[in-house]
Amino acid sequence: MSSAEQTTPVTAPKRPARTASTWSWLGVLPFFLWAVMFIALPAAFLFVGSFLLRDGSVGLQNYADLTTGAILPAFANSIYLSFFSALIGAIFGFLLAAAVILGNLPRFMRSALMTFSGVASNFAGVPLALAFVFTLGNLGLVTKMLAETFGFNLRATGFSLYSMEGLILVYLYFQFPLMVLVIAPSIDGLRREWREAAENLGATPYQFWRKVALPILMPSILGAGILLFGNAFGAQATAFQLSGGTIPLATLMISSQMSGDVLFNPGLGYAVAMGMVAIMAVSIVAYSVLQRRSESWLRR
Amino acid sequence: MTTHRLQARLITLGTAIVLVVAACGPSGSTTAPGGTTPAGTQPAGTQPAETTGADLPYDLWVPDPQLLADAQAEGTISTIALPASWCNYEEVWTTFIDRTGLTYNGITPDAGSAEELQAIEANKENPGLQAPDVLDIGLAFGPQAKDAGLIEAYKVSTWDSIPDDAKDPDGFWYGDYYGVLAFEVNTEVITDVPGDWADLKDPQYANSIALPGDPRLSSQAIQTVYASALANGGSLDDAAPGLQFWKDVVEAGNFVPTIANAGTIAQGETPITIRWTYNALANRDLSAESGGAPIEVVVPASGRFAGVYVQAISAYAPHPNAAKLWMEFLYSDEGQNLWLNGYCHPIRYQDLVDNDKVPAEQLAQLPDVEGAVFPSLDQVTSASELITAQWDSVVGVDVAE
Amino acid sequence: MSGGGSAPPFGPLGVMRSWLRLSGSPRARRGSGAWWAWLVVILGILYFFVPLAATLEFSLRACAPPNQPCTAPDFSAYANTFDDPFFFSTLAFSFVVGLVTIVISLLIIVPTAYWVRLRVPRLRPVVEFVTLLPFVIPPVVLVFGLIRIYSRPPLLVTATNFGSVALLVAAYVVLSFPYMYRAVDAGLAAMDVRVLTEAAQSMGAGWRKILWSVIFPNLRTAALSGAFLTLAIVVGEFTIGNFLAPYGFGPYISLLGRDKIFEPAAVSLISFGLTWLAMIFLALVGRGRGSRVQVAGAR
Repeated sequence: MSSAEQTTPVTAPKRPARTASTWSWLGVLPFFLWAVMFIALPAAFLFVGSFLLRDGSVGLQNYADLTTGAILPAFANSIYLSFFSALIGAIFGFLLAAAVILGNLPRFMRSALMTFSGVASNFAGVPLALAFVFTLGNLGLVTKMLAETFGFNLRATGFSLYSMEGLILVYLYFQFPLMVLVIAPSIDGLRREWREAAENLGATPYQFWRKVALPILMPSILGAGILLFGNAFGAQATAFQLSGGTIPLATLMISSQMSGDVLFNPGLGYAVAMGMVAIMAVSIVAYSVLQRRSESWLRR
Repeated sequence: MTTHRLQARLITLGTAIVLVVAACGPSGSTTAPGGTTPAGTQPAGTQPAETTGADLPYDLWVPDPQLLADAQAEGTISTIALPASWCNYEEVWTTFIDRTGLTYNGITPDAGSAEELQAIEANKENPGLQAPDVLDIGLAFGPQAKDAGLIEAYKVSTWDSIPDDAKDPDGFWYGDYYGVLAFEVNTEVITDVPGDWADLKDPQYANSIALPGDPRLSSQAIQTVYASALANGGSLDDAAPGLQFWKDVVEAGNFVPTIANAGTIAQGETPITIRWTYNALANRDLSAESGGAPIEVVVPASGRFAGVYVQAISAYAPHPNAAKLWMEFLYSDEGQNLWLNGYCHPIRYQDLVDNDKVPAEQLAQLPDVEGAVFPSLDQVTSASELITAQWDSVVGVDVAE
Repeated sequence: MSGGGSAPPFGPLGVMRSWLRLSGSPRARRGSGAWWAWLVVILGILYFFVPLAATLEFSLRACAPPNQPCTAPDFSAYANTFDDPFFFSTLAFSFVVGLVTIVISLLIIVPTAYWVRLRVPRLRPVVEFVTLLPFVIPPVVLVFGLIRIYSRPPLLVTATNFGSVALLVAAYVVLSFPYMYRAVDAGLAAMDVRVLTEAAQSMGAGWRKILWSVIFPNLRTAALSGAFLTLAIVVGEFTIGNFLAPYGFGPYISLLGRDKIFEPAAVSLISFGLTWLAMIFLALVGRGRGSRVQVAGAR
């Protein structure tokens, strides 16, 4: 690529190779140390706890209980909710980020969107749920406006805020901004000269995007999608307020066992948490496989 | 170029941050927001009870000097799961602090009974401020805590005036107050106020009725379902008709599947909900004071269901003497009356009334709960299991795709 | 300087870029904006601001004179909020904790991501998996685990306030890992790490100088976006703070929601606005000295 590689010989590190590999491991040591102290140990605690039964004995009953009752539907619902909110979040979030970065909009819009996204990505829980109740609930601002101005009865369409569709709509409030924040550096990395080179070669913007930009961005987009999936999967406070007893979700199962007023069975809560870990592990593996494949595009 | 300047600035910023955190980060004097009354705000939902001792039919509490000295040596009382507006707790702890000079540490005011037990369990060797000294838990949790060895026995000086069926004979746990489930209605939205459980199925209340919690998780919601059984052909031993009742409510189109709280009631999204009388009445007062919607609290004509909470001292309390002092205060005439100001029926209510220890105007503002039934421990436990297990299948609006 | 590219303009490639930038692309429509961009942004604005407007409308229903309907917007919900000393103290506490978290998180993540990219790519899936773990361990479980481990001898940390807050910061650093790592990793991907390192090394820089003078400055956008997310997380977080050190803003809001009707709506709007302002401030500080980034060594 550059003349830098031709004129400068491949520089050996200043230290001998033996110490270089030692240094490599040391470099990631702080991170792993932190992870062990504050993730691995508590995670081990929950792993061990999942084998403790309600009567104090040890066994696999909690895992067997995972297939009973409302737990499997809870996992199904969680996956459905997370997947679709991640999908829609990724698409529109990407469009938003692309719009302010590449769309020739006034300069301030980019930083406004970035800073706003930082706040909105964490606006969740009861305040978010209530905000949507005040907007789209039975007496909500938009509901009333639609009825009075357009004669349009929102309830008659079957839409309810307290359904899976409603939850997805609410979850998007923190999914869009998260996508924007995570994908922005990657869109920044799209060099102008690639687009200009493509134009010079006669490509339409559509062809540029399809053949050049999207393949390059795909690993980042997929990675961001996984992040969004995990974000929705682990969300609890918002769903707690909105579902009110009608939509079983995995995180609600956990919190019900850990902190509910009745039938307190923390071992089961830990087992459900391990189930969530398993699902996330599978998605991360899938993502890694996909990323290895599409990363070949990034070889320069 | 500017890298050195950048470096210098970052180092200065970092040092400043560290100094700021160390200096004005929480020192021993900071209390968590649940702890003390912020200056200038009126505790919501209470009558001004700051009358002088001479006006009151009961005597102000005088702490036992030895116990007081021991408690002051410890310096702090740590409670858990006590919201300020629940049974007038804010005034309870403020009075306690004034009278004893201890510091009040209110852990997680929002917690549920199960979390309280967890907090003891998790902090057995922790003398810090995360470990609670005293508990206020649902009836079913008293024996559970005792069996798990989490609480220790203590009989307050007024022990004998606590009804026998509301306390553990060995003194491990003891009832503190009770209330009855009542309808809380936003009368701006609902003009025709329901009077009894059967009214809730009336189609005029379309999209109006919500539970105060998730009926698979929250004690208050579960008790609501249990209570509705009484008016639907069930009994304290048979909670299944309660599930059927709510199925009917859902089918009538009256159910709003969200958790009702002060905000949703005021805004009108959940204009009818069912809560303990003390919570409903406290909210009614708060709403009237702050420009919220007018609220009426209706104790249902039939199916009156009472719920008891119990107190206990943690076996691992970091401040055991402070805990005992706290209990003495709660079970004194003054402590019991402070709860009464919060619309809770204190457990020694009958004793107080018999001895004329309750001011007349407080008696007047308590709701009429004649004929309320008190489920036993076993009845509550089996009903809870039934309701949480079967809610989804009997009532649950199946929303998976 | 449109597009905001953050790649360094060094070598013959950089010269070409600058030249291209000066001449401008024939298709550049300065400031007028593509139609699709405007459409997307307007839809976004509607979606984000209408619920906030509804919350505002609700919060204005509070009235100081009781028992009367409000005839004019009355800011008593807001007045009560500002009267409450706990509002300021909890918000300040959360902000400071957030800043400390950001600093520590950057100090851990940037060298790690750099090393993984440069030296030990085999470890990459492992590191990624670890950074995603905070997602799958729900805070409710994480906090109980942390308390169990760090509130008893030999690791008794929670006995003092400072210890509890330190543990809280450690937990928040962990919560920030997914976002920080992803942002920093994307930022590193956008610059040619290997060439930069070799160039710096050929000029005699050691590892620390490389990280400090070459890598960190070039990661400005990425680090900022990670920092934004971390700050928002810390200010809004509730579960862990509630149990470890309940002086933060999340526990405060939740408490308010239980006891008051209109103040929670007012507080969530105020905190939204204040956090947004803080982020704008962060962005200004971060962008401060011009948008050009430099390579180590003399030009």
